[in-house]
Amino acid sequence: MIKFLTPFEKVSKLHKTLILSGWLVLLIVIWFATTSGEKHLFPSPDQVLKGFTDLYNEGLAEHIFNSLKLCFISIFLATIISLLFAYSWSIPILKSVAEFVTKFRFLPFTGLSFYITMVIHEARTMQVWILVIFLTTFLTTSLIAVIKDIPQEEFDHAKTLKCNRWEVLWQVIVLGRIDYVIDVIRQNLAITWMMLVTVESIVVASGGLGFLIKNSDKFMNTGRIIALQIIILLIGLGLDAGINYLRKAIFRYSKI
Amino acid sequence: MKHEFKETLLYVENLSVAYDDTVIIKDINLVEKDVVREGIDFTGQVVAFVGRSGRGKSTFFKALTGLVPMNSGKILIRDFENPEPNAAKSVKEGNIGFVDQKYTLFRHKTVSQALKFSLRKTKLSESEKETKIKQYLKDWGLENCADKYPNELSGGQRQRTAIIEQLFSSDHFIVLDEPFSGLDVGNIKEVKKAFELLGNSSDFNTIIFSTHDIELAIELAQTIYVIGYPTIDGKQQHYGTIVAKYDLREEGLAWKDYCEDHIKLSKEIIHQMMIS
Repeated sequence: MIKFLTPFEKVSKLHKTLILSGWLVLLIVIWFATTSGEKHLFPSPDQVLKGFTDLYNEGLAEHIFNSLKLCFISIFLATIISLLFAYSWSIPILKSVAEFVTKFRFLPFTGLSFYITMVIHEARTMQVWILVIFLTTFLTTSLIAVIKDIPQEEFDHAKTLKCNRWEVLWQVIVLGRIDYVIDVIRQNLAITWMMLVTVESIVVASGGLGFLIKNSDKFMNTGRIIALQIIILLIGLGLDAGINYLRKAIFRYSKI
Repeated sequence: MKHEFKETLLYVENLSVAYDDTVIIKDINLVEKDVVREGIDFTGQVVAFVGRSGRGKSTFFKALTGLVPMNSGKILIRDFENPEPNAAKSVKEGNIGFVDQKYTLFRHKTVSQALKFSLRKTKLSESEKETKIKQYLKDWGLENCADKYPNELSGGQRQRTAIIEQLFSSDHFIVLDEPFSGLDVGNIKEVKKAFELLGNSSDFNTIIFSTHDIELAIELAQTIYVIGYPTIDGKQQHYGTIVAKYDLREEGLAWKDYCEDHIKLSKEIIHQMMIS
């Protein structure tokens, strides 16, 4: 037992599983125990289960589909734009432009969405572009960090193989780090997913999980809110694991 | 064993490199010629550079391979595309192969893809390229690695792949920065074998390497240069240059088993290193 309390002690896989299961059981017990009385701030398991049923009956699957669609379209567009900025970072005249884009990640969300509202009037397109603009700043930052981390030896290696500067860019950065792009998307997925729900709750016209939260919030339906949070968390974790699996499956050489 | 010096393969004159205002290496001069031995089909040139850390060996290698610009001087190599005797050309990136200490390869290319890439600028047909790659993989014991990525190779396999790749792409010249550093006995044997293979495959193949292992340098090289800080007018300078040259061929120590004379030479080289 002391072993499990000692820092840096190695434990077997079985023990790790047992520890994790123990914490889960404890969490569930605490949940049941603290919500069994008359008055409780957190919804009881029964309320959350009812929340799930209600959500399902109200077309939860369709809302999830809408959110995922928005997520994928935004990530796709933002990745393309970010890659252009990140790759252009190695070109001296464009370097400052790429670095300038990364600074925009400190801008507040609402300020920009105000201007986008004035330019774009269709709700869905508005959601997509708000997400694309914000994601681009985060993705560009991460992608530039990946490029900065490439050891000088890799560039020198390409040069000794008679690669001209554009070939060096293509071989070392574009092809040589394509698996990192997927990992950068995975790492930024949490931000995407969080922003997506927020964007959907600001521009509610086209449904989605954010719209459902906003609706539940309005009626103080805590059971539904927690049920939704669990769904959002599980989808997020699923996407994370899926993308990681995809990277390893496609790129055999990828050990990040 | 009788040997004869033929045409000049590498000519370095007054080479100096500085980063900002700091001079790293200065006044480096050397000439390496093709050596032919009686009764031996091919004799490649093996040149070793030794010297204490921070004396500019790596900078010299980078300048030699065209990876860092020179502040002054010139580096000429034999132009093998020009049939004229002693035809030379200035070194550009890619003319001289370079294998760094990490044996860097393209992480996204398998061994055969990497070798094919390094042959892309040659005039060989696709089938000739395939044949050449297969032959080298066989000769260098990499047959089972053709479809492996660098992260699936052992240190020795990576190094051999890196050497072949540079050999395919460059013009008979290969520079290896500390190829023996951190290797175990087995891997050192593999690198020695690689040197032997390189030397035995063409008269023009020229291997230039740096090492801290003086005995290995004496065992493998025919010329040893010591890079260190020179002493001028009794004052030690703070830039690297060639402070001593040992031609083992002229001293009758090349291509023969390690003996007492080699030990004496080793002591002399170590002394030179210590005072520079």
